[in-house]
Amino acid sequence: MKLKLQYIYLLLFVIAAYCLLPMTNSDYLYAIQDNNVFISGHTFMVDTVTNEGGWLVWVACYLTQFLYYPWLGSSLLIAMWTLIYLMTIHLFCLKDKSSPLALILPGILLFNLLDYGYWIYAAKTPGYPFQPTLVALFILLCSVLAHPLLKHSKYGSHLGKALPVTLCCLFCALCCILIWKPQRRNILNNHHCSILTTLTDKNFKHELRMYRAIDESNYEEVLAEWKKVKTAPTNLMVMFKNIALMHTGRLTDMFKTNNCGQKPETSDTLQERISQLAAPLIYYQFGQINYAYRWAMENSVKYGQSFRNLKMMAQCAIFNGEFDVAMKYLTLLNTSTFHKNWAREHEAWIMNSTRFIQSQDFQKIAPLINDDVNMLDNDEGDCKQYILNHFANLLHAATPQLEEVIMCLSLWTEDEYAFCVHFYDYVQKHPNEAIPQLYQQGAILLGTTESSPITLDKFRFDAVVSERYNQFAQDFNQLTRQGMDAKEMAKRLKPQYGDTYWWYYYFTNY
Amino acid sequence: MKKFLYIAAVAAMMVACGRPTVPTNAQKESRLPNIYPDYTDVTIPFNICPLNFAVREGASEVVARFTYPGGEHTYGENQKVLIDMEEWKDMMKAAKGESIEVEVFAKVGNEWKAFKPFKIDVAEDSIDPYISYRVIQPSYVAYEKLSINQRDLTTFDELEIYNNMSVSTEAKGQCINCHSYQNFKTDNMLFHMRQGYGGTMIVTNGELRKIDLKTEETISAGVYPAWHPTKNLIAFSTNKTGQSFHTKDLAKIEVQDTESDLILYDVDKNEVSIISELDDELEVFPTWSPDGKKLYFCSAHFEYQNDSIAKETEMIQRYKEVKYDLYCADFDPDTKQFSNMEKVYDAADSLGQSVTLPRISPDGRYLLFAQAEFGCFHVWHNDAEIYLMDLKTKEVRNLTEVNSKRSESYPTWSSNGRWIMVDSRRDDGNYTRPFIAYFDRQGKAHKPFEVPQQDPNFYTFFLRSFNRPEFMIEPVKVTPQEFARKAKEDAVKAKFAKN
Repeated sequence: MKLKLQYIYLLLFVIAAYCLLPMTNSDYLYAIQDNNVFISGHTFMVDTVTNEGGWLVWVACYLTQFLYYPWLGSSLLIAMWTLIYLMTIHLFCLKDKSSPLALILPGILLFNLLDYGYWIYAAKTPGYPFQPTLVALFILLCSVLAHPLLKHSKYGSHLGKALPVTLCCLFCALCCILIWKPQRRNILNNHHCSILTTLTDKNFKHELRMYRAIDESNYEEVLAEWKKVKTAPTNLMVMFKNIALMHTGRLTDMFKTNNCGQKPETSDTLQERISQLAAPLIYYQFGQINYAYRWAMENSVKYGQSFRNLKMMAQCAIFNGEFDVAMKYLTLLNTSTFHKNWAREHEAWIMNSTRFIQSQDFQKIAPLINDDVNMLDNDEGDCKQYILNHFANLLHAATPQLEEVIMCLSLWTEDEYAFCVHFYDYVQKHPNEAIPQLYQQGAILLGTTESSPITLDKFRFDAVVSERYNQFAQDFNQLTRQGMDAKEMAKRLKPQYGDTYWWYYYFTNY
Repeated sequence: MKKFLYIAAVAAMMVACGRPTVPTNAQKESRLPNIYPDYTDVTIPFNICPLNFAVREGASEVVARFTYPGGEHTYGENQKVLIDMEEWKDMMKAAKGESIEVEVFAKVGNEWKAFKPFKIDVAEDSIDPYISYRVIQPSYVAYEKLSINQRDLTTFDELEIYNNMSVSTEAKGQCINCHSYQNFKTDNMLFHMRQGYGGTMIVTNGELRKIDLKTEETISAGVYPAWHPTKNLIAFSTNKTGQSFHTKDLAKIEVQDTESDLILYDVDKNEVSIISELDDELEVFPTWSPDGKKLYFCSAHFEYQNDSIAKETEMIQRYKEVKYDLYCADFDPDTKQFSNMEKVYDAADSLGQSVTLPRISPDGRYLLFAQAEFGCFHVWHNDAEIYLMDLKTKEVRNLTEVNSKRSESYPTWSSNGRWIMVDSRRDDGNYTRPFIAYFDRQGKAHKPFEVPQQDPNFYTFFLRSFNRPEFMIEPVKVTPQEFARKAKEDAVKAKFAKN
């Protein structure tokens, strides 16, 4: 019965661990391994083991790879925690009811893994998911092995009494070490306890899912995830959603949905977050290859090398035709356990340019690159604003895809002058084509502003758009006259006009 | 004793049996093998460490036979050729002034291939036993782990001179800049640190000091240094540097000075004085002639034309107009006065080119520099190549022997003038590696070779660059811990002295 109780507790812990790890946080675990790196071979090993705790880090980095398959990596962790539990019971001779005490350490280790939240992007300790577990396992293993030896030595009786106390102290010290994360500063999110982010912040989970879907060019998955969003989205989610719309030819729908990120973040925090979280991916998706490469490199310097950055640098190098350096990154990735297929696939792009040109990446991204334009500038760490300004200020578009991005992003900037210039060009280039309703909405609103370089008389707008705008203006003026505040007005007008650029322009902040 | 002899004999037999045998039925190939690093037909010093290499022929096994005057050795471990240190030393001794022939055999599929043999010429001239360089990731703005390391060229040993992580904290990161030695010796040396615990670390006769070279009269602390060959004087450039990024160009980044001048630092008096601060001139990269009576430097004539925008903005807009010429000024070491400043090489107006990083050979006859179309930071410019000026005839030629299709920069000479070292990005275009070339008595450079590593695939797997390589005849004696301790102290302020 005693034995059974111990195993029942263990079983409950294992079930809880599986629920909290691969079942509900598989994207979190995948992202952890993606932000980790392990390169087989002498150079990486020497580079790692020559630092403090080097061998531990090296082994931890190796094991972290297995979180590529969250169930597999979690099973490894849970197996180690099971060992820790059993050894603790053995070492402290815990009996029936006191056996849950042996779950304290595995529980702390589980808590520790979940207590990273947004810190998964900024944690500078390589292999951190496995490091504390390995330390705990090593100490307990040594203690278990030393215990009988000490008991039978001539000092056995004294040590026999002192050992449990010593182990208790060691145990407490270990717990403190494991939960102590000195490098953390509260710059990334507003939660003081990151485990709440991991477990309860739905936007965090949406971001992880959407990032992975974009990384795998699964844009429909991004839009499906977007539909699940019930609360105010983050700026990153908005960016991801618009990328998915862009690559599925529906960018003109961008203002039909919520297009503004969560407010609690200050702009500084936002800049830091986008550059850390996804700037390389966002720049890459918008065809800003040099900037994508740059931020992948900067992030790998600042937060440590990762599979994610290596892959991004390889992709960018291929796009730029820098095949030697691309091969360097692919050679490194080829040594990994789970990213080697990705590396081989991309090696084939280098060997056979047709395969690259036929790839989804090229088909989607190449049309966004304006071949003849090289500019020297700086994003000042603000990825989103840079992209908006870059496209809003482009002088001409060589492809329909780029034209659409220029039009929509200049609307997003709310830069009247830039949009109106692009609108004028668009109408000149497409004299006998219907103008998308979004552009008409933008022109009717922005074309009448003081800074507009165009007059609206020269353009023919659809009657339905003009009438709808007149109705919007009438309703807007009426509610203003009634003294209604902007927040209330936004709510009132949303059902009728929530899918228009006008509503976005006036009320998106409310 | 008997037991020991028996074990030794068995061990010797195992070693002997482990040596690969040359295949007798190999198919002859008319081309050279694809080996990395490329050591085919290079000239090397007799005191260099073994040139281990990897054979990149998709082979399952390789064998390399080294035939030298007096014998031969064979090596091969999977795809690598790893040479025994003691045997290599014997080979070098025997082949000094002569050549080693290397035949490479590779088993591709089930078939052995024998490639066209190549030679390694062993020069009679030795090389300085040490080099030092900054180990840095080729990032743009971010930096984290940086170190200046010293490498023993006669072995594979590498040690840190200084590592910024010994003082860097999350809140106070530190960047390490250029290092310099007086006459290839390390009793008088320096390097500069900025940001957290910033200052210039100066070692004088073995004594370490930390100096703040920024004065109210100068635009920055010392940046690019050159230690006078006979006096305790250091010429520095002072620079206001900015970075901007290309949206399409593969150079990716431009590092530009919006302002720069030259200063002289008197180590004994702790005094800074101005060498040159001309309006509309961007002076940079000072270097002394070996007799210490001339200072060479680069300068770009640049007139700001638009007062309504910031200098940085105008510099970004007109970045391709910034082209540096090579200048020289006479220097009197006793009075510390400069005179007769003259343009030695007109690269900007005559050629539309930009000259940087001049270095003079120890005999004073030749001057190496890096040249590209524009700008001052040629390590990022793919068109940057090394040029050689004969100071006797003033003739300048592209040192095609050492250049590649990618960036070459930071040229430097060994203390005997027979070896030159350059930083090259020829491997992959992004990571700089040190390459050494023999410079013969006729003024011709030979094919350069990449500084050897124990693991020939090291450079492929190593994700950091080796910047500003310098030769040294002895190792740095101040320990990294001593540097770190001093770095944490406050810097002593340098005084400004009017000329």
